[in-house]
Amino acid sequence: MVEDDVITVEGEYETLIPIDEYLAAGVHIGTQQKTSDMMNYIYRVRTDGLYVLDVQSTDKRIRLAGKFLANYEPSKILVVSARQYGQRPATMFAKTIGAKANVGRFIPNTLTNPAFAGFIEPDVLMTTDPSGDAQAVNEAVDAGIPVVALCDTNNMISNVDLVIPTNNKGRKALTLIYWLLARQVLRERNEEDRFRYTVSDFEMEF
Amino acid sequence: MKEIPEKCVSCGIKLTGVGGVRFPCPSCGTIIARCNKCKQQSNTYTCKSCGFGGP
Repeated sequence: MVEDDVITVEGEYETLIPIDEYLAAGVHIGTQQKTSDMMNYIYRVRTDGLYVLDVQSTDKRIRLAGKFLANYEPSKILVVSARQYGQRPATMFAKTIGAKANVGRFIPNTLTNPAFAGFIEPDVLMTTDPSGDAQAVNEAVDAGIPVVALCDTNNMISNVDLVIPTNNKGRKALTLIYWLLARQVLRERNEEDRFRYTVSDFEMEF
Repeated sequence: MKEIPEKCVSCGIKLTGVGGVRFPCPSCGTIIARCNKCKQQSNTYTCKSCGFGGP
């Protein structure tokens, strides 16, 4: 980690975990591309051209997403991840909060065709990457359900209803975000004592 | 009983057809409605109750 990655948090805001843990997992590391949609969440650009996300906004959004997902019946939440590094975190997240997980290829018609054997009717969709999980997002639009997405600096946020700005490509970053989100959802449901996982339990193995 | 909004919170158009969505505000729980165009164009929305700005 280069020295200029360090971000200081101003004011009294207390993050869910120490800022250093966010930085160690690389949650703040974006890409060399940025979109206008994600401008609000970008803290600065590094000398090597990488855009750096604002960790404080990530932390705030995790709290909000936890509160948001806690409004829904657990079995009516669908978590999708086509991205390989997100598959185990997404599965563990779904298992922890009692949701459904659909990792790997998202089979078309899953949300829209009642004649399809794997047809399901969730109330909310959680995606790891709105561009990688475009099929799921498009079907969620047709089904009229809200979409929560982990978005990096290079993502467009079309059809997304709640953005969690984070690095959605790194193995450790995805692990930490899903772990925090699972803990936060259970906290909002007053079931935190049920949460006995460590961050490494959520990590994708090689 | 909670009032279910019929108009998009961003542009004020009446929600019809496919693509519109209603969901509770992540901050306060008030129901927010978004039309398909505002969703597609990633237009920002603001909760009328608490001022939460999304997406």
